[in-house]
Amino acid sequence: MQVNGQPHPHREGLTLHALLRELNVQPERVAVAVGDDFYPGARVPDRPLEDHDTVEIVRIIGGG
Amino acid sequence: MPALDPLTIGGQTFTSRLLLGTGKFHDFHVMREALEASGTQIVTVAIRRVELNAPGHAGLLDALDLGRYQLLPNTAGCRTAEEAVRVAQLARAATGVNWVKLEVIPDARWLLPDPVGTLRAAETLVGEGFTVLPYVQPDAVLARALERAGCATVMPLASPIGSGRGLRTGELLRTVLDGASVPIVVDAGLGVPSDAAQALEAGADAVLVNTAIAEARDPVGMAHAFALGVQAGRAAFLAGRMAEREGASPSSPVAGVPRLPDPEVPLAERG
Repeated sequence: MQVNGQPHPHREGLTLHALLRELNVQPERVAVAVGDDFYPGARVPDRPLEDHDTVEIVRIIGGG
Repeated sequence: MPALDPLTIGGQTFTSRLLLGTGKFHDFHVMREALEASGTQIVTVAIRRVELNAPGHAGLLDALDLGRYQLLPNTAGCRTAEEAVRVAQLARAATGVNWVKLEVIPDARWLLPDPVGTLRAAETLVGEGFTVLPYVQPDAVLARALERAGCATVMPLASPIGSGRGLRTGELLRTVLDGASVPIVVDAGLGVPSDAAQALEAGADAVLVNTAIAEARDPVGMAHAFALGVQAGRAAFLAGRMAEREGASPSSPVAGVPRLPDPEVPLAERG
């Protein structure tokens, strides 16, 4: 599994909510993509994650 | 100062013609004060991966009064159309806003946009319901193609991003402005308020400024100065400039000057 471009250990039964908790990410401040599915932080579903999934967790920062 | 004509982008109407970036500010407090002093109503933001296991930093969105500003997430850092489309989708999820400042920039040295990739990404994003504001070189043919693709604006550069070199593309900008059917927002490279005034005087509908304000000694003072520059430029455009002429033309009547005798002319010949 890839999380933000880095390999991440996958375990049986891992869900998106569990991953965010594991990574210490507060969902309401971020957006998440699993493959081509995009979720606002506040509406991240607790979907199961597969070993081949690519997860992106992003936030808003200053930029021009 | 009389109110200027409003600016409409993507069906929304704004009274300010100054868009502001939120990058490079020393802290959120200065940024907020600068936004306030500029009178801006549209602010750009960027999307980045969160640093995993590094929680606690206050988010930009917490520092912005979202009721006052139209957020304009950018795709800065994207090198291809595909990356830009994906970042726009992440931005929409992160902000709930479907506006995107489209940047497809494969070149790290000059930060020049890829016209082909930008057009391709714009077509995809318009098809997915985004309000697309593409960053481009001042190329009139490309600008018309982006308009036909359904972009809300075209945003030609004045000079390289963050360079502060001012409007170095004035002649090309004129060709982009000529016959434009969407607002033209001059973006990137403006260094001082007179650069912004110059763009607006030429007929640009708005400007986007970030580094010139964030890196000023006094960002809040410079934000105010840019607001004045933009107002002056727009007011001048609406007022219609004089025609340029090659030589001088006296401002005072030439007849009736109470002259002294011309010393070059002999006394006998004087009238």
